[in-house]
Amino acid sequence: MTFDLHRPATISEAVGLSTRLAPAARYIAGGTDLVIQINRKKVFPDHLIDLGQLPGLAGVAETADGYSLGSLTTYRSIELHPAFQGNLSGVIEAARVVGGHQVRNVATVGGNIVNASPAADFVPALLVLDAELEIAGPAGNRIVALRDFVVGPGRTVLGPAEIVTSIRFARLPDRSATAFLKEGRRKAMEISVVCVAACLTLDESGSSCASARLAVGAAAPKAMRPQQAEAYLLNRQPGRVSFAEAGRLAAESSAPISDVRASAAHRRHLVAVMVERALTACHQRILEQGR
Amino acid sequence: MTRTNLDILINGERHQILIEPHWTLLHVLRNVVGMMGTKENCLEAECGVCTVLLDGKSVNSCILLAGQVAGRSVTTIEGIGNPEHLHPLQAAFIECGAVQCGYCIPGMILTAKSFLDENPGRRRSRDEIREAIAGTLCRCTGYRKIVDAVALAAERMSVAGANP
Repeated sequence: MTFDLHRPATISEAVGLSTRLAPAARYIAGGTDLVIQINRKKVFPDHLIDLGQLPGLAGVAETADGYSLGSLTTYRSIELHPAFQGNLSGVIEAARVVGGHQVRNVATVGGNIVNASPAADFVPALLVLDAELEIAGPAGNRIVALRDFVVGPGRTVLGPAEIVTSIRFARLPDRSATAFLKEGRRKAMEISVVCVAACLTLDESGSSCASARLAVGAAAPKAMRPQQAEAYLLNRQPGRVSFAEAGRLAAESSAPISDVRASAAHRRHLVAVMVERALTACHQRILEQGR
Repeated sequence: MTRTNLDILINGERHQILIEPHWTLLHVLRNVVGMMGTKENCLEAECGVCTVLLDGKSVNSCILLAGQVAGRSVTTIEGIGNPEHLHPLQAAFIECGAVQCGYCIPGMILTAKSFLDENPGRRRSRDEIREAIAGTLCRCTGYRKIVDAVALAAERMSVAGANP
């Protein structure tokens, strides 16, 4: 069991290597998942192409209309970044539940997305921001919406030799807030039983939902946006009644499985409760901004 | 399989080591360099006993390929203080009686050091400390005294102003 490790210095060199060595080659970023899979003899790549040396892929940049996260940005650096302390706090809440500090100092945002685990914690937090992925590949660059990127468990639209280079999302309007909640069997170092992200924007009066975006992880083959719940909230008064109904609708549109972590029925129950709580947290945060 | 040359700083000293591509940093530290302070256990980044500092930040050396960290600086427990001049964390662990069987302690101290170094001079709440060490398990379950020790060290380091 072994492989050759390649360390390209540029994206085009990496893409060229991957094209030449396909299909026996895998890209490696932090490696916090891939190295374990190799050690468990679940994957047998002949070649690993280490993206860790590629310049400009790690870090958070402010753009004209929002933010761009390099795909090699680590979770710990997102947690500590001042850009997400305000109405994007849901991003920090999602980053801080990925493994322990040691994993978060190494694991990358791009790796978590490309792995396409239905339980990936960071994906729902980005889905509610309508995040887009910038992808480099043999045929040039392209942009894919995150919601179209993951196809199913472990499967994405990524073509041969393509690399996700950055994740972009727009700044939120005034009177907006985000929240992320995770339920596991214990508090830390845990794969989500269910995780939920919410992004709520109120109208100028503060008495009506101008926009509500919800995302649910680990309750369907891929992280999902419960569209009926989102549509229901539009122009409705924010509060206990409407948030509970949104939770009920979200649970209805989820498609959880029973596994070692929880039953489908328990997961569906959690979706309803957690959607309501996440919306309540957003509402509370918006009210606090006004003070 | 091609052996390649790994150029790496370990506790400030430059090492040039011939490695096989699948060797982890943990394997290199224990089996090639012979530094046994870094422990080996789950090999899946669940338990934290293999924690070392990579450019000052805590990482699980059991799932890092040695080739991935070429050219970078690694600090192990052997590079943190010595019997004559203990690091404040080491002194606090002894004073608080935070060491039971001791197996997790190198990883625990390095996990805590990385965390405290993120914001030098800042006092830390017990909740923050507990969250910070979540990736490092003590199966003697002596967490209370470990948290006491990290809090004491954080307090002293904040008073001292500088982080040794």
